[in-house]
Amino acid sequence: MSESGGRAPIPGGTQIAASQRQVNTIEQQRQTIQELQTPVIQVWDRILALPIVGSLDTARTQEMNEALLQKIVDTGSEIVILDITGVPVVDTAVAKHLLETVAASRLLGAEVLIVGLSTNTALTLVHLGLDLSGVTTRTTMAKGLELAFARLGLEVIRRSRRRVTVAHEPDDN
Amino acid sequence: MAQVPIIRVGEVLIASVQEDLRDQDALDLQVRLGDALEHTTARGVLIDVSVVETVDSFLGRLLNETATGARLLGAQTVVVGIRPAVAITLVELGLELQGVRTALDTDKGLALLRRLIAREDGHGQSRLR
Amino acid sequence: MVNLGSAEQHLPIRDESDIISARHRAREVAKTLGFGAVDQSRIATAVSELTRNVVRYATDGRGEVVIRPRAQSERGTGLEIVVSDEGPGIADVEQALRDGFTSGPGMGMGLPGTKRLMDEMEIDSAPGQGTIVTIRKWRR
Repeated sequence: MSESGGRAPIPGGTQIAASQRQVNTIEQQRQTIQELQTPVIQVWDRILALPIVGSLDTARTQEMNEALLQKIVDTGSEIVILDITGVPVVDTAVAKHLLETVAASRLLGAEVLIVGLSTNTALTLVHLGLDLSGVTTRTTMAKGLELAFARLGLEVIRRSRRRVTVAHEPDDN
Repeated sequence: MAQVPIIRVGEVLIASVQEDLRDQDALDLQVRLGDALEHTTARGVLIDVSVVETVDSFLGRLLNETATGARLLGAQTVVVGIRPAVAITLVELGLELQGVRTALDTDKGLALLRRLIAREDGHGQSRLR
Repeated sequence: MVNLGSAEQHLPIRDESDIISARHRAREVAKTLGFGAVDQSRIATAVSELTRNVVRYATDGRGEVVIRPRAQSERGTGLEIVVSDEGPGIADVEQALRDGFTSGPGMGMGLPGTKRLMDEMEIDSAPGQGTIVTIRKWRR
């Protein structure tokens, strides 16, 4: 801020424009980082996946929840697979944030499956004594996906590998 | 008093809550739903709150109570249309509406009700037409 | 601290329809100040909770809501809302802030939840001296 009556130069038009551009760039980059950090992916009809990389604090959880819920609305998804493999520390605070995500998604009719739980994390959560009864978990994304398919009544069937030779034979009905 | 309209569709009662429900109107809705469940063969209640911008603890609790009451009268309840902003606010308020089933929209809500009613009947199919 | 002077609004609380008008107005002002949809919802819900407390438990169910936009250099733009009444007051403010929704009806219901929704909350209350609840939310 310039001092009134002093001899400090008052910012000119170009300087204001330049610093405004800087602010805009920073804001844009912040948004991009945010989007990269909480990508919500539609892996199948009605199934969303949300891999979280990095620590999860209140602000980030709030942003994540907003993005996730909007995606649930936009895609009509009924299952969300939340992958916490990349979350370094799962303590009470993080656990509570995750429970918030689960609860909010449920209000929109979507079930959240949490995957990527390590043995360590599982024990930590047990020792914390939080009520995790409403939360379904699996150790890997693949298992989460399997469960998601089961929930939606979908089945993955391996195609037979036997080659079938189609010969031209007269139609003898 | 602005009454919330209740429409009967097969075995389901559908109540579409308009925005700005006064407390008295909300309580009135609860009573009318109870009456309807008692005097008709309705097996399900669908409450649509998609137009509601603010769901506070009063309405949240009312939805909980309505679902519980309906259960006692032999009916399943599904609330649909909770907006993202409302969902986040409710969770932060500490109201997770755990006694209430929820779905994204009316289509999914009706499908869910069909499944719940069928399960109750122990049949594979509901009588819902 | 700079007030956006003329933008301050006073709304009376007389009956339950004022719960709706107050939260509506709060939401509108929040929107004008640039708060996002979720923050608007938090603010409207908080105002709904506090106003309902007044209607239910204050003497004659009367009080006032003041909606006050705030501009402060460090925190940027914010919204301050003051809900006051001449009711029975809260005997134990700290306890009211601690208890959850399962606590019985009375002044102070819903205060912990409201606090969670807001960035700041102050309660000025004593038995027989009415209650003044001030809440603030700042734009991120």
